Amino acid sequence: MTVKADGGVASPNDRTASPAAIPLLIEGLGVRYPGRREHSLEGIDLPIVRGERVGVAGRTGAGKSTLTLAAAGFIPRVVRAKLDGRVVIEGIDTATAAPGALLGQVGIVFATPANQLSASKQTVREELAFGLENLGVARDEMDARIDATLARLAIGHLADREPFALSGGEQQRVAIASIVAMGTSVLVLDEPTAQLDPAGTASVADLLDELARTGTTILCAEHDPTVLGRMDRCLVLEAGHAVALDVPGVALASAATAGGTPLPTMVRLAEAAGIDLAAAFDEAAVAAGLQARRQGPGILAERIVASSPTPDQALSTWAPTDGRPAVRIDIDGLVHRYPSGIEALRGVSLTIEPGESVAILGQNGSGKTTLVKHLNGLLRPAEGRILLDGQATDDRSIAHLAATVGFVFQNPDEQLFERTVEREVAFGPRNLGVAAAAIAQRVTHSLTAVGLLAEHSTNPYDLDLSRRKLVALAGVLAMDPAVFVLDEPTTGQDADGVARVGAVVEAMQRAGRTIVAITHDMEFAASRFGRIVVMREGVVVADGPPEQVFAPASVELLASTGLTPPPAARIAARMDLDVVPLDAAGLLRALSVRG
Amino acid sequence: MSATTGYFVAGASWLHRRNPLTKLLALGLVLLAAFLLPPVVLPILIAIIVFVAWAAGLLGPMARAMRIPSVLLLSILVVNSLFFPGAKDILVSLGPLSISREGLTFGLASAGRVLVAFLASITFLFTTLADDLLEALISRGASHRISFVVLSAVQMVPRMQGRAGAILEAQQARGLSMKGSFVRRLRKLVPLVAPVILGSLVDVRERTFALEARGFGARPGRTAYRVVADPPIDRWLRLLILAGAVAVVLFALGIIHP
Amino acid sequence: MNLDWLQVCAEGQTTPCVAPIQLAYLVALLIGAVLLVVIARRARDLTTATLSLMAVAIAINIAVGSIAVFLRLPIYLDSIGTVLVGALAGPWAGALTGILSNLIWSILPIPGGAGPTAAFFAPVAGVIGLMAGFWANRGVFQVRTDDVRVGGFLALATGILGAAVAFLVVQATVGIPDLAATEPDVLLANQTQFVLMALGFVVVGVIVGWLAGRTVFAFQGDDPRIRPYLQVATAIAAFVLVFGIVRLLFAPSGYFSTVDGVLDDGTPDDFLGGASLTGLAVQDPAGLIGAFVVALLVGAGALAWARRGDNARLFPVWVGGLTTGLVAAMISAPIAAGVFGGVTGGGTDALVALFRTLGLSVFQSAFAQGLTSDPLDKTISYTIVFLILGALPITVRTMYSRGETTVAE
Repeated sequence: MTVKADGGVASPNDRTASPAAIPLLIEGLGVRYPGRREHSLEGIDLPIVRGERVGVAGRTGAGKSTLTLAAAGFIPRVVRAKLDGRVVIEGIDTATAAPGALLGQVGIVFATPANQLSASKQTVREELAFGLENLGVARDEMDARIDATLARLAIGHLADREPFALSGGEQQRVAIASIVAMGTSVLVLDEPTAQLDPAGTASVADLLDELARTGTTILCAEHDPTVLGRMDRCLVLEAGHAVALDVPGVALASAATAGGTPLPTMVRLAEAAGIDLAAAFDEAAVAAGLQARRQGPGILAERIVASSPTPDQALSTWAPTDGRPAVRIDIDGLVHRYPSGIEALRGVSLTIEPGESVAILGQNGSGKTTLVKHLNGLLRPAEGRILLDGQATDDRSIAHLAATVGFVFQNPDEQLFERTVEREVAFGPRNLGVAAAAIAQRVTHSLTAVGLLAEHSTNPYDLDLSRRKLVALAGVLAMDPAVFVLDEPTTGQDADGVARVGAVVEAMQRAGRTIVAITHDMEFAASRFGRIVVMREGVVVADGPPEQVFAPASVELLASTGLTPPPAARIAARMDLDVVPLDAAGLLRALSVRG
Repeated sequence: MSATTGYFVAGASWLHRRNPLTKLLALGLVLLAAFLLPPVVLPILIAIIVFVAWAAGLLGPMARAMRIPSVLLLSILVVNSLFFPGAKDILVSLGPLSISREGLTFGLASAGRVLVAFLASITFLFTTLADDLLEALISRGASHRISFVVLSAVQMVPRMQGRAGAILEAQQARGLSMKGSFVRRLRKLVPLVAPVILGSLVDVRERTFALEARGFGARPGRTAYRVVADPPIDRWLRLLILAGAVAVVLFALGIIHP
Repeated sequence: MNLDWLQVCAEGQTTPCVAPIQLAYLVALLIGAVLLVVIARRARDLTTATLSLMAVAIAINIAVGSIAVFLRLPIYLDSIGTVLVGALAGPWAGALTGILSNLIWSILPIPGGAGPTAAFFAPVAGVIGLMAGFWANRGVFQVRTDDVRVGGFLALATGILGAAVAFLVVQATVGIPDLAATEPDVLLANQTQFVLMALGFVVVGVIVGWLAGRTVFAFQGDDPRIRPYLQVATAIAAFVLVFGIVRLLFAPSGYFSTVDGVLDDGTPDDFLGGASLTGLAVQDPAGLIGAFVVALLVGAGALAWARRGDNARLFPVWVGGLTTGLVAAMISAPIAAGVFGGVTGGGTDALVALFRTLGLSVFQSAFAQGLTSDPLDKTISYTIVFLILGALPITVRTMYSRGETTVAE
């Protein structure tokens, strides 16, 4: 398939551009891993000019990671795979490059922040020196190069910190800095923000802008539309093939039409406004376009139909095997102190009605996880108490509470251990003493709900991280508790995965379960939960339905916690609407009624 | 105690300022003396080490660290004095158990050696950063690749312990009860230990890529960022220690007598 | 033949003999020096993937090993990472992993560490890594139940069984010389005799194994006998293992006869809730018959299990673990005896105390403890590694060139 590259801010229409202008050239790239019949990538052409940022989008398993590995010269040197076509970095063909030749030319950063560091250095400064040591840079030059990098990336304040004590966003920036310090001109990233909170994501995205401005060439695989939207161009992959290569708005829109993936909210709104999709991620332009449409020809009707959410019923077949009464949660004056004496929770009182669904928002360190860990006894209150249906939890063990409160942890790798997905999901109900026949039925139901029934006898660790998270979710679904606690269920998920998790949440609600979820995903929180609780420094600062919490009046309060309303609400605020829409469909409905 | 610096106690004492290799050799000499010379030297060695620690202002940390080997020392003493084969000289009898003089002597000597080894090692660890020691060894021709393995393994153990804690929480939240008989609890080690191992091994891939991206081991001619001081006095000290080691070995072999 | 150089001092004896401590150092230093030289030469060839695997493996060794110490288990579980690296990255990387694990463990403030205990056993850990790599190259983690290489493992197992039977026969007829004799002359004679006997057992084992390999187990091509033989061998192995363990635990002077709810130092042992298990020791001949029946049942169960699918391929894994354990016991005994009087602060101390009360010398107790703990420990560790290798994602496994040759699909 040939993909036309046009409309880009700095796209290389001139195919005869000199190698100096194209630091990263991918031509006819195909990759096939040993032992697999199908190519993981086929026929990818992608020349990137200096200082350009190219995003790579696509479903989980579409070949994004393989493309980043190939672009960084890791295939076939480090990862054994058959490579067709060629990848040329700064004039060096990666397939024939001498060992070490690519060093200082290209670098790569992956998703898990803690794994990106050398894990052997005491300070950020030494961490940055690690690459220079390997390059054999003279000792006298090192400090100057490190200081220059710290200044260029504006992370000088981290110089003497311990790498392991940094937040995820800081660790990712240090990892990028340590590659940039080596004089690298091409930076490849594989979902660098997948495990970060909104503040961390924004800081990494800002850093990429700054790097590109000062001449670094960037190739970045991502799911997050806010990161993809800031790229110059976007390549969309589908089953190893390029289906679109254009400015982000256009590329994501055409990919969605072709592949049926959910459209990012901003692109959907831009389409409805009928504006140039190149400006899809410019909020002011989209708001102005919608305003003009509303006062003029009206919102494009077919866009409203096209953009109404895919019916979740098709996804969410989950239903509990037996009915049980919904449980009410009373949190009363809860205080938690760390051994150091610092108060993580400073008097939290909440009542969660039976069958209510609550999303808890807040920055890292605001006490969200500490709060929910009290619900199933992982933490015990220093002061105050937790009541489940009026009964105190103090004297009940975690394992005992597990029958009532199901807890889905953020990191699935801290619990998966069985040989197959099926056995893994059966672990929880087996601990609860559920009969064998019932377990089999529950396992089937839960795996169907998360869309992994076909993988029932796969080794969980042969699935990627986003699907391992779904296995952990299925494991708790199979326990069928009255209360579900979800910690960051959508991180690392592609749009399909987020929709899948959302459908499961709605299925839980239909079954009358009480749901408490921690999330950084504002759109997910706004569109799937009936109540939003915002925390800051161990106290609840906002509590109410999403329309109230995300209303323009609360924007300042939200900003003080490092949060912003979801895109649709932001656009509505720019248009001075007096409703607070929670997703694109909501906004368009509001406009069409008026228009 | 920090996860990344181990036992290191920040300071600027005379001992802190010595080159790590000097201290490593001194540690070797103490160990050699403790295990090759007759047990009578053990009290002297202990006195010397305690004096050095006092001079470096490390008595407090050393006293606190003493709880670590206490179980081992007690075990050595008790098992040897109670169960010593062929013991004849019985000191005290308590029902079926009896403490023998031979056992007590053997136990005291063994425990004394272990105590000296512990005190000397801990004094070394209090005053030496692993990074400095390894960088000093690299400058003497040790492999920087192996040094890297050591440093990252040291940092990974506390992370793995943290991970084990998180796993314990996660499995309990999935209804795994930690009560029950000994055998049942042993069986429950599987869901607790397996994720620690598998999860860490899954991370190996990304960690390898991160190292490759920073050119780890790709080129000869590595340079070092960390500068380890080696004052002239250290060279003399090292010569002195080597001479001492030779003397100890000769004495142990019966070639020289005091 | 003059075997003076082998004579180990009796307690209290001064001359002429080699003190266990000196012997321990000699052995440890020699093995350590040779290993270090070879490894230093080989380390240059290690890939980045191997090095980062080694770091994780070391952490696994230390973390799991310290749990075993903390729980006072009578096994170590501190070489899972070592065996894993041996399997994926070869013997030299395995040896280096083992040595570094024990050295690093010594300087960490966790159970089993924080003292020189682990460091003294570093040479043992190195040898374990070497053997793991050796066995992985021979395919213990990979052979399928219809592989001709199975014959070799069966022959080896037969050889070990032959040596053990020879030992039991001699013990029952001639008797094993008394090594705790107090008279120096008698002791010397007994020791000489014992060493000769031990050599004899080894020779018997080698001959039996060789003959078996050349005759009964000389398979060719896709011999239909391979599968059933392997299944029966698995059952026999299970029988022998269970019989041994049951005797170890429930014999009149077995492990449980020493667990009386009180620790060595007189404080209550709260690990088992202060329970006294002395009543679990079963007197002979009822105990003997009971152990036989239990082992027989388990053996039958093992046969049924081995006949299902490819389960019998765990047999080579166990042969690898068992032999590694035997070698480890032989190297570690002099170190344990010489340095700590056999006491290392772990759960194995109960075994040492037990053997001492049975009248064995310091060295013998340490050796007997090693012979009890090590083969069991390494067999368990090899089995765990086999399971881990099976659960390892393909993406990780394919980073190692041996990942495909030493690991079964």
